[in-house]
Amino acid sequence: MSTAAQRLEDILNNNIWDVDPEPHITVDAEKCRKCDTRPCILLCPAGCYTLSDNTLVFSYEGCVECGTCRVVCPMEAVHWEFPKSGRGIYYRFS
Amino acid sequence: MAEAPAKFDAIVIGAGPAGCSAAYYLASRGFKVVVIERGRTPGSKNVFGGRVYLAPLKEIYPDFEKSAPIHRWVTRERISFLHGNDLISVDYEGNDRKSFTTYLSQLTAWMALKAESAGAYIINDVTITGLLKEGSRVVGVKAGDESVKADVVIDAEGINRLVLERSGIVQPLSPSNVALGVKEVVKVNPDALANQFGLAEGEGMAWSLLGDVTGGIPGGGFIYTNKDSVSIGVVMLLDGAITGAREMVYRYVEGLKLHPKLIKYFKDSRIMEYSAHLIPENVMSLMPPQFAYDGLLIAGDAAGFLLNLGYTYRGVDFASYSGYLAGKAVEQAHGLGGMSAENLSVYTRMLEQSFIMKNLKRFSGVSKLMRNRRLFTSYPAMIASLMRHMYSLDFDSQKILTNLLSSAKENGISIYSLISDGIEVMSRL
Repeated sequence: MSTAAQRLEDILNNNIWDVDPEPHITVDAEKCRKCDTRPCILLCPAGCYTLSDNTLVFSYEGCVECGTCRVVCPMEAVHWEFPKSGRGIYYRFS
Repeated sequence: MAEAPAKFDAIVIGAGPAGCSAAYYLASRGFKVVVIERGRTPGSKNVFGGRVYLAPLKEIYPDFEKSAPIHRWVTRERISFLHGNDLISVDYEGNDRKSFTTYLSQLTAWMALKAESAGAYIINDVTITGLLKEGSRVVGVKAGDESVKADVVIDAEGINRLVLERSGIVQPLSPSNVALGVKEVVKVNPDALANQFGLAEGEGMAWSLLGDVTGGIPGGGFIYTNKDSVSIGVVMLLDGAITGAREMVYRYVEGLKLHPKLIKYFKDSRIMEYSAHLIPENVMSLMPPQFAYDGLLIAGDAAGFLLNLGYTYRGVDFASYSGYLAGKAVEQAHGLGGMSAENLSVYTRMLEQSFIMKNLKRFSGVSKLMRNRRLFTSYPAMIASLMRHMYSLDFDSQKILTNLLSSAKENGISIYSLISDGIEVMSRL
């Protein structure tokens, strides 16, 4: 093991997903734009929420289905469903 | 598997520890029960810290020790305070077969298999989207456009209780009622693991870490030894994390793994899996208004049945046992003539009389205790400087009391807070 922290992408690469072609999470861009704290960026364990040119960019593919974003979003901008029919994260050792 | 009947006695939402245990009990008593699971297999959506207490599971599954996937018996308990590069630990060896480590994915799959061999039907790959109601009575479940009917529904959907929210039974989760757990399971050489942690064959360690783990956010870290891997992670109260997080949460796990005093345990390791899950906190306010309704019982995380003792969590055994009690309640309500809220309220009484509600009430102050910042910042610092004064000797030595008082002073702790925090810890734990 290296003595430096690994990148989140590399950590996540050890997981298995069966990604739903339909996103199970949607973010209301209008509400999101008005947010000045955006706790989702640091608190999503899978780094699904990133900032690009001061705009929030969201991707659902690496979601580990913890539900944190839904709870911490102060704007209630996150619409969160479970992925349909067996899709999403597939835990084996957790 | 035999042809499924057109109507079931009971539908269980979620093949987790609570749901499988409910189904196992009911199927063993001859009830027609189906468990509907959103994952591809039971256990594929489950996450825990790493340790399960045996006694409740043994009551539910009498042959538990013979066939359950037990990785290591926890024979070694360790609590450590981290401060900077200092690590102060209390080590306890003595517990024999009270708790064990495993992968929850494996344990849940085992429970589902037990339920299935007792006659329960497990349907995977189906996400329940709502309850089917006639008036105020729950008569089944909906999955998109399809519905299935039963005399009673046991909701064991987990902490993200979308079904209960949509039915108007509970409010959306509040950040003050949950903690976030983030964990890596890392592969290590089993010989190196046994040597590093000082474990004999089949023996395991459960390790809680307090102090400089979550950057001042109320919470802590944990390490569990599995058969040939180690689970390492952090837990942080979500309301504290919203205001206190200074970096992405995975960095706290990586930071713990790379701590100068911990890195030796993870030499040549590689990550097998990375997971995260919400944990019930403040459970008295997280609980639904009732556990039993007309045609509906609520069990496991969905009901808030998880005990935080400050130094350890009890989730899987509490969830499983609540599912088992839900099964018993359905059996009794059946004897009383039907699944009315009144007949099913025997579930609430059984919970009240069991270790579940007794302990949740007894330790309901622990969440408050975790919000006492001094316990996570100043005290670990104080203990670290006390130890440094005691052991980092060159020429001169001081009396312990002198050291204690000067360590407290160095870290801005008054004698008054020493006493009042001491009393708080003793009364809440």
